[in-house]
Amino acid sequence: MRKEIYFGLTILIAVVVGVFVLMPPPSEMTNGHLGLLMLGLIVVAIMLGFPTAFTLMGMGMIFAWLAFRSQNPNLAVQQTLDLMVQRAYSVMSNDVLISIPLFVFMGYLVERANLIEKLFKSLHLAMARVPGSLAVATVITCAVFATATGIVGAVVTLMGLLAMPAMLKAGYNTRLAAGAITAGGCLGILIPPSVLLIVYGATAGVSVVKLYAGAFFPGIMLAGLYVGYIVVVAKLNPQLAPPLAEADRHVPLPDYAEKITASFGNNVVRGLVAGVQGKVKTDAPSRTLMSQLAIALLPAIVFTAAMGLSYRMVTAPIEAVTTDAVQMGSGFSSDEAKSASGGLQEPPADDGGLKEPPPEGGLKEPPAAEAVKAPAPATQAAAAKPKASATEATTGERVPAPTAFWITLGLGTVALLAFYAIFNFVRLEIFKMLLGSFFPLAVLIMAVLGTIVFGLATPTEAAAMGSMGGLLLAAAYRRLNIGVVRESVYLTAKTSAMVCWLFVGSSIFSAAFALLGGQEIINKWVLSMDLTPVQFMLLAQAIIFLLGWPLEWTEIIVIFMPIFIPLLPHFNIDPLFFGLLVALNLQTAFLSPPVAMAAFYLKGVSPPHVTLNQIFLGMLPFMAIQVVALTLLYIFPGIGMWLPSVLYK
Amino acid sequence: MQKLFLFVDKVSTKIGHAFSWLILALTLLITWEVFSRYVLDHPHPWAFDVMIMMYGGMFMMAGAYTLSKNGHVRGDVLYGFFPPRLQAGLDLALYLLFFMPGVIALAWAGYGYASESWAIKEISNITSDGPPIYPFKTIIPLAGAMLLIQGCVEILRCIVCLQTGAWPRRADDVEEVDVEKLKDMVNVKDEDIAKLDALVVAQEGAHK
Repeated sequence: MRKEIYFGLTILIAVVVGVFVLMPPPSEMTNGHLGLLMLGLIVVAIMLGFPTAFTLMGMGMIFAWLAFRSQNPNLAVQQTLDLMVQRAYSVMSNDVLISIPLFVFMGYLVERANLIEKLFKSLHLAMARVPGSLAVATVITCAVFATATGIVGAVVTLMGLLAMPAMLKAGYNTRLAAGAITAGGCLGILIPPSVLLIVYGATAGVSVVKLYAGAFFPGIMLAGLYVGYIVVVAKLNPQLAPPLAEADRHVPLPDYAEKITASFGNNVVRGLVAGVQGKVKTDAPSRTLMSQLAIALLPAIVFTAAMGLSYRMVTAPIEAVTTDAVQMGSGFSSDEAKSASGGLQEPPADDGGLKEPPPEGGLKEPPAAEAVKAPAPATQAAAAKPKASATEATTGERVPAPTAFWITLGLGTVALLAFYAIFNFVRLEIFKMLLGSFFPLAVLIMAVLGTIVFGLATPTEAAAMGSMGGLLLAAAYRRLNIGVVRESVYLTAKTSAMVCWLFVGSSIFSAAFALLGGQEIINKWVLSMDLTPVQFMLLAQAIIFLLGWPLEWTEIIVIFMPIFIPLLPHFNIDPLFFGLLVALNLQTAFLSPPVAMAAFYLKGVSPPHVTLNQIFLGMLPFMAIQVVALTLLYIFPGIGMWLPSVLYK
Repeated sequence: MQKLFLFVDKVSTKIGHAFSWLILALTLLITWEVFSRYVLDHPHPWAFDVMIMMYGGMFMMAGAYTLSKNGHVRGDVLYGFFPPRLQAGLDLALYLLFFMPGVIALAWAGYGYASESWAIKEISNITSDGPPIYPFKTIIPLAGAMLLIQGCVEILRCIVCLQTGAWPRRADDVEEVDVEKLKDMVNVKDEDIAKLDALVVAQEGAHK
């Protein structure tokens, strides 16, 4: 114990001494050097463990005063005071940061709706045939839940309580189990709507909307790589992740389903139709059968509605049709309120696009947006916004639908038919379980993201709708009571105070840094190194990665991004792209031993013989995957930049 | 001494809690505004200002509350390893060096800033005929003063810790990751986890 302390302190002292040695003698010291001194000292001061917000504030104030004093000693105090209060006020009235408390609030509410148990169970049943099914289900559960809540600690703890026992009982390797939980739990940092991206957007002056659009596919890609890794490992070495026993996969069927299956075959639609018509004796009231049939037909209904709607959209005779996205925006702008909250009330309706086995209908084509908004069509038509009806009235001719539409329709229909061909009663039960757990969350996320990304709502509005959705979700699962709301509200206040005070401190600090001209020295220094953009990028990412060890992501972004961002134009790097890389990079920090928070949360709820070392070892392959993902994103910037470039030309 | 600490904590907490509810109000306000704008076609020009005020008021006034619960983010890589006395010593030094000057300056500057705003009865200039903004600006000195009081208590706490070698107790509050509550939520008991241990041990045995 003692040794570590002395080791740490020695390093800190060495840094301070080093900084002072490198400084020119006091007589030649310029303001720029003071700026660098300030930067060196802040790192040391943060490491001493004092609340960072106030370290930044105090140090910023002192150095701002020094900077002003060198210009005009008489005004220095007043100018410093003015600077501080103006900076504080600009954070208070920042219209980007306002979405942070709202998203945080949404996260706490969703967490307390207690969906995670059902979510995990239904997903692992749905994945039963995939190799390493439990671990795959863990990653997906984490991805969905972490995305909706954004609270790494809670997600890892909950999954440690739920998935860890399930995996250990099924004979999974402890390391693989630990790796899947910790890696999955950290996905919420990257996949929007994440607070990290808002903080980056506010610091770097990049549109949060674009960041969200950009981070979506890298996030999905990372989750996909995790899943792929697990499947491959489980396939190559089944000992690490043995397939589930028959008993664990068993889904109990209701009475009528057993009867229909016994006498009429396994197909749900045919069976239920026969049951309703009375060809099979089921003893179940026909109401039950009808409602089951309705549920079974949901994917088809949603698909038809989505395609019908998109047919109207793509053929609508609106002049100057540029892209589908723009058109959608104009068509839907009336209804964003409902698509967010309405989507929740009828979770089933929306997910045809997501559920169909081959996902092409759901993901690639523009209709994806309609799939998300599907619940709205009726209400939208009723609302009859002037824009839509006016255009219809004025011009009668419809544009012929593009080929892409027919291809989507064809593929979707084939997929749907294939889906119904294999749709048996066991799958119907699983489908119902998913309807109750996976789809509401997916709809909530998609509604929030969709409205933001397609420009229907500002992030603030969407975040508020998301919080409202969280309230409704908690209510729908009968978890909404004054205690839950009170806890969520208090936690939100604490978390937002933490982040936003950090902003107050850092904006005072970076103002002082700029006043001293530290930025110019760094710029000059970096430019004099004559780096190529690739070298610069590697250097920047390496520095951020290293900083990720001792510091939290909030600190890294608010303190160091203002230093990196002004350098980007020299190297022709898009701050948006840089932000995506940073977000992906900082995720790695959550998994890098020995400070990875996720590991400690998992350790807290694991059986005593699971050691921290095992957890760290389990995390390593996933960390390697993150580095692969970072490289992929760097080599193929399109993964991140394609969506924003399509949407916001 | 402990009584004084807990009393000040309680005041900060109560005020912080009271302002926390603004987040619920903010959610409802924006939801209503969105509904009103897109469905009823009746936007309110003051809505944006009010949103900002709710957000700003909430986090500023929760600053002291968060401090009283030790909730401000720290770089705790080393700090966590330090013995309490060293922690208290470092904290004390940095409270005096950074916190006090910074917060006093903020509160003082905020006082001047707000009083100018009161003097001209300033209104928001985001929309024409915006709502009055001077109460909002008053939040800066208020939040600063609360932080200052809470900071004094924290300094005293450091001194007590330096004397006794242990941190004085804080009152409980909701935790972000409350393991016991989470266990309750998903119905996992400690015995269940203990039972799993056998599996882990068995696995290790098999690998050796």
